[in-house]
Amino acid sequence: MDFISGETVGIILFFIGLFGLMTKKNILKTIMSISILQSGIYLFFIADDLPNNSIPPIGETLEKPVADPVPQALMITAIVIGLGITAIGLTMFIHYKKRYGISFWSRNRSEERSDQ
Amino acid sequence: MHYLFILLPILIGLIAYIAKNRFSKPLLLIFQFIYLVFAFLSFLQIKNSGPQIIDMGNVPNGFAISLYVDNISAAFVLLTALIYFFLIIYAYNHDYFEPQFFFPFLSLEGLITGLFLSGDLFNLFIFLEVSTVIVSILIMYNKKEQAVYDGMIYFFVNVLGSSFFLFGIGFIYKLFGVLDIRSLSKAMEIFTLNDSVYVPFALMMVTVSLKTAISPLFSWLPKAHGTPSAPPVISAVLSGLYIKSGLYLFIRISAMYSPAVQMDTFFFYLGFATAIIGAVMSFSQTDIKLILSYSTVSQVGLIFMGLNMNSEIAFYGSVFHIFNHAIFKTALFLAAGLLTKYYKTRNIHEMNSVLKNFPLIGYSIIFSILGITGAPFFNGSISKYMIAHGTDNLFATLLLNIVNLGTILIFVKFSVILFGNNTWGKEKIKDRLSQYSVLIVSSLALLSGLFGRRVTEFLFDYPLTVDSAEYLQKGFVYVLMGLAGIALYKKVIQQNKWLFKLTQIELTFNGIITFLTGYFLLLLTILYIR
Repeated sequence: MDFISGETVGIILFFIGLFGLMTKKNILKTIMSISILQSGIYLFFIADDLPNNSIPPIGETLEKPVADPVPQALMITAIVIGLGITAIGLTMFIHYKKRYGISFWSRNRSEERSDQ
Repeated sequence: MHYLFILLPILIGLIAYIAKNRFSKPLLLIFQFIYLVFAFLSFLQIKNSGPQIIDMGNVPNGFAISLYVDNISAAFVLLTALIYFFLIIYAYNHDYFEPQFFFPFLSLEGLITGLFLSGDLFNLFIFLEVSTVIVSILIMYNKKEQAVYDGMIYFFVNVLGSSFFLFGIGFIYKLFGVLDIRSLSKAMEIFTLNDSVYVPFALMMVTVSLKTAISPLFSWLPKAHGTPSAPPVISAVLSGLYIKSGLYLFIRISAMYSPAVQMDTFFFYLGFATAIIGAVMSFSQTDIKLILSYSTVSQVGLIFMGLNMNSEIAFYGSVFHIFNHAIFKTALFLAAGLLTKYYKTRNIHEMNSVLKNFPLIGYSIIFSILGITGAPFFNGSISKYMIAHGTDNLFATLLLNIVNLGTILIFVKFSVILFGNNTWGKEKIKDRLSQYSVLIVSSLALLSGLFGRRVTEFLFDYPLTVDSAEYLQKGFVYVLMGLAGIALYKKVIQQNKWLFKLTQIELTFNGIITFLTGYFLLLLTILYIR
C-alpha cells in the first residue's frame, strides 16, 4: 500500500486539525485540534527523505542508506515549541475558565464571576 | 557580531528582571542607548561594505543557520532600536514598567530584530512562534476586562498561522533540500516545475498575510492592538514595529518566490480592499485605540499596494512608508495612552480641547496627523509621492487617491479631540518625560519629511528626485482633499446611523479560522487557474 505513507497521513491529520479549529466552539477542543494539526506537520517532515531500510545516521561506517537527519533535528525543535504552545494555551484556558466560568469561544459573556 | 543584536536584549531583560532593584530601570535605559548607537554603527558599516552573511558554526554557506544583513534589514534594526529607546523613556515612570514587564518587553525587541535579520526559513518560524507567545503575554499583561479573551484569540490564530508556515517549509524542504532563503531563490531561478511550488507559496503567504493583517485576515489585529487594558507601549510596539516584521517577511518571501510565482496584481487589489475596509471600519469606531488600530490596517493596505506595483520607486516608497508609519503610529498610540489615562475614558467624543489642556500632546498629535495624511513637508507626503510615482495608470492613481481620502476622513474624525469645550477638571499631571518623548517621536515625522530626499538616500541608497512643481501640485491636491474630507465627514458620515452598526460586526474565533482556510483555498485556486 503505497498510498498510506507518512506524508499523506500527515496531510490528512493537518486537515482534520483544521476542520476541528473551524467548527468546534470548545476551547479545549481548539487546543486539541492544534495539537493534531501540528502532529500532522511533524509526521510530514519526518517522513521526508526516508528511504526503505534506512538506518539512523549514527556511527562512522555507514553501509546502508541513512535517513536525512535535518528534518528530524528541525522537528525536535518544533515539538518542543509545540509543547510550550500547548502548555501556554492550557494556562490561558484555565485562567479564562476560572474568571468567566465558561469554556467556549464567546464574547457575549455575562458579568465576570465574582465567586473566586 | 549581529547575533548580539538578537541575544543581548533578551539577556539584559532577564538580568533586569532577576536583579529587581533600583538599578534595573537605568540599566535598561543605558543598554538601549548603547544598543541604538551600535545599531547605527552597524548600519553605517553595512552601508559601506555591502550585504553581509553571518554563518553559525563551521558549516558551509547555504546549509548553516545564517543571518543575512543588507541595507534594508540593517535600516529596520536601526528603526527598532530607535523606537524602543523612546518607548523606554516614555514608560520610565509608569506603574506597569516593573521588573516583571522588562523581560517580555525586551525579549520582543530581540525577536523582532531576529525576524529582520534571519536568513533561514526555519529560524523565521521559530522567531514567529516565540514572538507570538511573548506578544500574547504582553497583551494580557493586566488581565483586565477583555484582555484575556483578546490575548487568547491572538495566540491561537497566530499559532495556527505559524503552523501553516511550518507546513510550507516542509514542502519546500522536500523539493529543494535547503532552507536558506538566498539559496532557495537561486534554486527557484533554475527550477522549471513552477506548479509544484504553488502549495508552499500559498501556505506561506497565508502566514505572511495573517501577520500583516491583510483583508480578510485582519480581524485579530484590532483585538490585539486595541485591547483596552494593554499598556500603551505595547499597543505602540505592536502597531509601530511588530506589524512591520510581517511586511518585511512579505518583501523577503515574495522576492524568494519571484522567479516561480508572481501575483502582483492580485496583491495590489487585495491591498486596496484592505485599505478601504480598514478606513471604513476605522471611522465608524469611537474608541480611540480601535480607531488607531483600524487605521493601521488601512495603512498596511496602502503599503501592500506600493510593494506590488512592480516598480522600483513605489517599492522604496513603500519601504519608506513603513518607516514613517512606525514613527507616527507610535506617537499616536503613545499620545492616546496618555489621554486615556488623563480623561479616564477611551471614547473620543468625551475627550476635548487637548490642545489647550496638554499642548505638548496636542502638538505631537498634530504632527502625526499631518504625517499620516501626507501633508506637504511631512514624511508621509514623500513616501506617498514615491508610491504614486510607481504607476502611470490613471485607474491605479485614482485608487491611491481614494485610499488617501479614507485616511484623511479617519483623522478628521480623530482631530475633534484637539478642540472643543473643555470638560477636563484640572489635575496635577506629572509625566512630563512621557510627553516630551511623544513630542520627540512625532517631530521625527516633520524632520524626516523636511530632509526626505536625504533620508531616503541615506537609509536605502535610493536617490530620489522630487519634481518641485509636481510636489506643489500634490500639496494643492492635499488641501483640496482635506477640505473634501471635512465636508464629507460633517455632512455624510457624522449623520449616518448604519456606520455605527459596523462597529458591532465581529468575527468569532471559528469565523476567523474559516476565513483563513478560505483565503488559503482562494490563493491556491487563483494560482492554478491562471
